[in-house]
Amino acid sequence: MSSEPAKAFVPIQVYALCARKTGSDMAAEKNAKAVDPFEAFRKMRDTYLEGMSKVMIDAVNTEEYAQATGALLNNYLTLSAPFREALDKAMIMSLEQFSLPSRQQVAALAERFTNLEMRLDDLDAKLDRIVALSSGARTATAGVSNDGKRARPEDGKSGKPAGRKQ
Amino acid sequence: MAQTAELSNPWTLLEQKLKTFNRLMTTKAPIGQTPKELIWTLNKARLYRYIPVVPAEERYPIPLILIFALMNRPTILDLRPGHSFVEYMVSKGYDVYLLDWGAPGPEDKKLKFDDYALDYMPRAIRKMKAVSGAKEFSMLGWCIGAILTTIYASLRSDDGLRNLLLLTAPLDFSNKQELTFARWTDEKYFDIDRVLATFGNMPGEMIDYGAKALKPIENYITNYCKLWDSLDDPRVVEAWHSMNTWVTDIFPMAGGAYRQLIVDLYRNNRLIKGELKIRGEVVDLKRLRANLLTVIAEGDHITPSCQSEAILPKVGSTDTELYRVPGGHIGIMAGSGAQKQTWPHIESWLRARSL
Repeated sequence: MSSEPAKAFVPIQVYALCARKTGSDMAAEKNAKAVDPFEAFRKMRDTYLEGMSKVMIDAVNTEEYAQATGALLNNYLTLSAPFREALDKAMIMSLEQFSLPSRQQVAALAERFTNLEMRLDDLDAKLDRIVALSSGARTATAGVSNDGKRARPEDGKSGKPAGRKQ
Repeated sequence: MAQTAELSNPWTLLEQKLKTFNRLMTTKAPIGQTPKELIWTLNKARLYRYIPVVPAEERYPIPLILIFALMNRPTILDLRPGHSFVEYMVSKGYDVYLLDWGAPGPEDKKLKFDDYALDYMPRAIRKMKAVSGAKEFSMLGWCIGAILTTIYASLRSDDGLRNLLLLTAPLDFSNKQELTFARWTDEKYFDIDRVLATFGNMPGEMIDYGAKALKPIENYITNYCKLWDSLDDPRVVEAWHSMNTWVTDIFPMAGGAYRQLIVDLYRNNRLIKGELKIRGEVVDLKRLRANLLTVIAEGDHITPSCQSEAILPKVGSTDTELYRVPGGHIGIMAGSGAQKQTWPHIESWLRARSL
């Protein structure tokens, strides 16, 4: 007697809740769409930009554009050259006055540092090889001395250097 | 209630949008955050090893080294937590290394592909092998990084390279009609000697302008309009912020390497023709015998697909695959679809060849 109304009530309640929720959501969406005054403007803007984009892509892909940008760059380099040269000369003179190295001298020093780094890297590689060979030889010797049986060589891994966590 | 009323006020909404826009334009997002350790350095170059998250016995024995282009930071491969190729590969059990070229200074203006491919890469790879204990390795090159890895793989084919992955690789420059860059850098209009004599290295701003000017409306206007429309979506905002942080972090390209890119490749197409000489040695693509996966972005305006297709019949590899992905030059690895398409394909290709 008491279970029957409950059985009937539950689906109706669920439907009502769903219907109310869906209805309210739809209304909210409708309102949101209705009050957005910029939607039409956005669509117009996007259509215009799309059209312009195609025009511009075609424009930059022409010989004329390449010629124009090339001419612009050349003019810039020509016009700025005297100023740059004067500035460079003044800078070199100033640095000399202050007993400071010039850009070229610092660059030459940096190149020498890189060469030194390469030498160190070569040494590191040689050391790795020596360590691998000596550990291999040690393992082989130890393997032979153990009842004449050869032990399994190590997997050739060199010691992992202490890395710096970033 | 008061908060809802405040949010429905158009002026408050506009103020919030402007605040967010201002934050995005004036701050940098944290990118490249996957934990890593520095294991090798040479000049500005750095080799990092990402801290594994999978136990050693479950990891693949073949390490993977990532090599990006020379003119941008490689952090695009590790953009942000939850959207990082590096994080994805590390979580799948790969021992991942990243070679970061760094920003060249005036003292590096003479650096050429020769130096990168024969001085820096072999040393970094030696270190990676020493640390991982592996004799073989996989290598992924992206954009100009793909040129360098191709040169390296051809010249040092017996160095243990098992798998080579090339992403949006500009290798063939024969189709001049498709290449806007080739038109701009033609010797009739572009005096490369004069530019490099003036600047030493190729300024990052000029390279950036070149890349953006290929699609000027998209890069200078549409990009910001779309951002403005989505400023109330935190996911879009954070994705845009991290991408913008990477895009605006520009630096020059070493003068010597830039000259080779323009003269040897864009103008004379020497790599595919088999005429490119690196330290006097001809780069013979037939000597490249590693398993090869070439990934092409179908909507790539920087490296059109015709530039990456020609390599397959030229190499000596027997196991080759060409994989096309919808998307742009960067989008295929860092866009929203990368996680669903490009990364899983790369991972499954590599998985079968890393045992």
